[in-house]
Amino acid sequence: MCGTSFSPLFTLSFGSMGRGYIVEDAVEGYLSKLCEQQPGPVTGLLIGQSSTQRDFVIMATRTPQREESMAAAGSSVDKEWVTEHARQVSRMLPGGLSVLGVFIITDTDAKDTLTTLRQLVFAVENLISLEHLWVPADDDVTDCVTLHVNPKTRKTICRTFDVKDPKSMAKPADWKYQSGVCSSWSMMSCCLNVDMLVPLPTRAGPENMDTSLNEGLKVWAHHIQSGACLIDGKKLPEDTELTGGQKRNVRQTYTAQLLVTPDDLRSPDVVQQCGGSVSVRGVIHSRAYIHSNKPKARLAEKLLKRDVVSTVATRVQMLLEELQVSEEESNGSRKHKQQTEQFCLPRRIFCPVKVSGPVCVCDYQFSDEGQSEVTERLKEMLDIDAAEEDLDTRQETPSEIIKEDVAAEPTVETHEALEPKRNNYVGVAMATAAALLATAASMLYLNDV
Amino acid sequence: MVVSDSQCSDTWTILRVRGPLELKCQLDSTDVPLMHKVISRTFGTLQSLVKSEACVLTVCDSPVIIWPNRGVHATPDEITPNTLCEDLQQWIQTDEQESTGKRSARKKSKKSSSVFTFVIQSIINLRLMMEATTTGPLPPPILTRTIKKSHFFSTTLPMDCVIRTNCNDTIKDACERLVEALSHQLCEMEKVILQHMKGMTLLVPEPLHFLLPEPKGLVTVVYPAGVPDSQLETQRRDLHQRFELLDDWPYFRRANAYHFPNEPYRDGYLRNPHLVLTHPTLDNGKVYLVQGIYSYHHYMQDHMDDNGWGCAYRSLQTICSWFEQQGYTERHVPTHKEIQQALVDVGDKQKSFVGSRQWIGSIEVQAVLNQLLEVTSKIMFVSQGSELASKGRELANHFLTEGTPVMIGGGVLAHTILGVAWSETTGQIRYLILDPHYTGAEDLQVITDKGWCGWKGPDFWDQTAYYNLCLPQRPKTI
Repeated sequence: MCGTSFSPLFTLSFGSMGRGYIVEDAVEGYLSKLCEQQPGPVTGLLIGQSSTQRDFVIMATRTPQREESMAAAGSSVDKEWVTEHARQVSRMLPGGLSVLGVFIITDTDAKDTLTTLRQLVFAVENLISLEHLWVPADDDVTDCVTLHVNPKTRKTICRTFDVKDPKSMAKPADWKYQSGVCSSWSMMSCCLNVDMLVPLPTRAGPENMDTSLNEGLKVWAHHIQSGACLIDGKKLPEDTELTGGQKRNVRQTYTAQLLVTPDDLRSPDVVQQCGGSVSVRGVIHSRAYIHSNKPKARLAEKLLKRDVVSTVATRVQMLLEELQVSEEESNGSRKHKQQTEQFCLPRRIFCPVKVSGPVCVCDYQFSDEGQSEVTERLKEMLDIDAAEEDLDTRQETPSEIIKEDVAAEPTVETHEALEPKRNNYVGVAMATAAALLATAASMLYLNDV
Repeated sequence: MVVSDSQCSDTWTILRVRGPLELKCQLDSTDVPLMHKVISRTFGTLQSLVKSEACVLTVCDSPVIIWPNRGVHATPDEITPNTLCEDLQQWIQTDEQESTGKRSARKKSKKSSSVFTFVIQSIINLRLMMEATTTGPLPPPILTRTIKKSHFFSTTLPMDCVIRTNCNDTIKDACERLVEALSHQLCEMEKVILQHMKGMTLLVPEPLHFLLPEPKGLVTVVYPAGVPDSQLETQRRDLHQRFELLDDWPYFRRANAYHFPNEPYRDGYLRNPHLVLTHPTLDNGKVYLVQGIYSYHHYMQDHMDDNGWGCAYRSLQTICSWFEQQGYTERHVPTHKEIQQALVDVGDKQKSFVGSRQWIGSIEVQAVLNQLLEVTSKIMFVSQGSELASKGRELANHFLTEGTPVMIGGGVLAHTILGVAWSETTGQIRYLILDPHYTGAEDLQVITDKGWCGWKGPDFWDQTAYYNLCLPQRPKTI
C-alpha cells in the first residue's frame, strides 16, 4: 500500500462455493487503519450493492462511539448501537446502495466472533427491513456478509448468512479487493411529484397521524412499484441490458420516468368520519446507482423505485420523529382544534464517496439546519470527511412553505414555533444537533368561527 | 330489424381509454352548498390533471405511450402525431394462445360484416395513467396537517371513454377527442355525484357504453352505481329524448350496455351465432331478424343431461336470455327445474312434474314466460307443417315489431326461429333456425358449418305434423 505503513489484509479464500465479494481497495485501507488505531474490538458496516451474480462492497464505516458506554467498552459489542447505526446509515444511502453486512476487528477466537457476527447481521437486517415499504422481489439477495479481521494477524474471514432463514449456517465467501469497483457504475435518476392525502381518525393524536401516514405511504408505495418505468424516454423490455456499462470510465446516466395509476379496486367506504387529514405534496429527487456488470433494465427500475419509496418514507419518518419529540415536550398543552399546520420535509443533499468515482451518499437537511450539520453527520455516520463545498445541493431546492388556499372561510394566520428536539442521530452529531435547535417553521390557520 | 344490403364503406377503429382516477377530499362542513363546492373543486383538480402534461395514454399490450397534452409526444420514436390510429394496431401484441375457435369466428364475422350498418372493425385499448416524474429541481414536499372533525370523501372514478375514428384520423385527432371525452366524463361524474348526494351518502359514478342505431353509434352514459334500473327511468327518458329514440324499446338499461368484441362473455354461452351466416338471396326478398342479443342454449349445457327431452326448455332459455340481455328483466335464465316449478306454480302441472324428464310445448313456454318474466305471447297454430310456408308475412311482422326469438314446437321437435327471409312478391321463404338439439361444445365453426344454426327451406318442417309457435311480445317500456 503506497505511502502507508499498513500491512495488507490477508484474506482466506474458500474457492467458488459461496458468494463472491468484489471489494473496493479503499476498504482495505480503511480496515487496516482501524486495525492500527483501535485497542478494543471495532464493529462497522459494509456498504455496497448485491446482485444475483456478483456483490460489490464499495465502502466500510465503523460504528460511532457511544459516549455513555465508553467506560464499559471492554470487549463486548453493543448490538443495539450497531443496529441503530445501520438504520441511520441505510437512510443515507441512495438507490442501489445498501448495508450488505457487518465487519468486526477483534482478536477474539474466530468461532465466538462468528456467533457475534451472526447476531449482528440478523439484528441489522430485522431493523432495516422494518423501514422498507416496498415489497421484496424474488431475485433479491438475502445473504448478508460478515467479515472478521484479526488486528494482529490481519487474517480476514468472510462468511455469509441467509437472513431470511433463521436457521441458516455460515457459508464461506470470496472477498477480493479491486480498484475502481464503482468507477463505471451507471446512475439513473428522476424528480418525482408526490401528492398524497390521507384522512386522520376521529380521535386524532400525534400517534394516529403516524399510523394514517404509514397506511397512506404503503398504498402510495404500491402504486409506485406497480407503475411503468421509462428509461431515457423509452419503455425497455425487462431483460434489456443497459448499454455502455461495459465501457470503463464512461459513466452512464439515465433519466427515468414513472407512470402510475391507482388500483382498480374501489374503496368500500366512500365517505368516512375523520378527525382531519394529512397531505404530503411536493417533489423529490431520486436516484439509483447500478453496477457495471451487464445490468438489466429491470434491475435499474427496481433500484430506482425503491429509492423513490425510501426517500419519501424516510423523510416522513424523520419529520414524525421530530414532531413526536416536540409534542411530547409540549405535553399536550397545544390543543388540536381546527387548525392547519405545515411542515417542510427535509431536503436531500448528496455527497460523493470520494475514493472511487461517481457514487454518492446522501443526507437530509431540515430547513433550519446549516450545511455543517450535514458534514458532521456524514463524518459521524459514514466516516466521510466532506467539506461543505463537496456537497451537492442542486438536486432539490430549499423548502418553502406556500400558503395554500385552505378553505373558503376566512382564516387567521398565526405562526407557531414548534421546538423540535432532534434525536434521530446518534452520538456527537446528536449532541450538536440538540444544541443547535432551531424552530421548524409552521403555519397555523385558525378558523374564524 | 330490417337488414338492408347497403354497404358500409367506412371501417371504424374504436379507441377506448380506461383507468381509475382517485377522488379525495375532506368535507369540512355538512352544509350542502359548501360540500358541493368542495367536491366540485376536487373535480376541478382532476380536470386540470387530465389536461396536464402528466396525463399519459398507454396502448395496452404494446410499448406505445402517448402524452396527449405534450404536443402528442409519443414513444417509440416511429410514432408521430400524424400516425394514423389504425396503424397503432401493428404495435399491439396479440395473444396467440387465444382459442382457435374464437379466432376463426372473428375471421368469419369480418367476412360477412359488410351487411351490418355498424361493425367495429378493431378496438384499441388504452390505459389512462399519470406521469409522476417531473423536471426539477424543485423544493421537497410539504406535510400539511389539518385537525378538524369532519368527513373524508374518497373514491376511485372508473374512467372509461370511447371514441370512434375512421381511417383518416391521426393520433393527434384522436388524442384531442380522448382528452375532451375524459374531461366531459368527469363533468358527467360530478353531476351524478352531486345529484345523488343524500346527506353523507355519496354514490360512485359508473360509466357505461351503449350502441345506438346509426348514425349515433356508441354513446357513453354515467349512472350512479347501485341505483337499480327501475329508479333511473327519468334519466332514461331524457336520454331517449336527447338521442331521438323510440319510447318503446330499452336502449339505456344496464343490460343494454355494449359488450366490446374483445371482452369474452364469462358465462360461456355463445351470443348471436347467426351473425356469421350469409343471408339467402331471394328475388325481391328481405331479411327479418331477431333484434338485440340472445345466448344459444342447447342440450347438455350446465352439466344437465337433457338429451332427448329438453329441447323446448332450451328454446325457452334462449328466449329468456333475450329478455334478460335486452334489460326487460333482471331475472337470470331459468333452469329446467325452475321452469318446471313455474308450471306447477301456475297450476299447469302436478308437483311430481318438478325433476321429471317430461317434454313441454309452446303453450307451456307461453305460461312460463308469463309467470317468470311477465311477458305475454301470441300463439300461432299451424295444423300442417306445409302451411308454415304461408306464414311469411306474420313472421316478418313479428321480427319487425317484436324482434324476439320464436319458439316452435308441437307434434314433433322444438326449435327456435330467429328470423325469416321472405319475398313479398314471390312468397318464397327461408327460416333462420337455432337448433336446441345440439349436444357439442360451444364451437361456432361446428355450429354454423353443420347447420345447428342456419337457414332452412320450407321442407325443413314435417309437412304433415301440426305446429304451435310461441311469439313472445316484448313489453313496451324503456
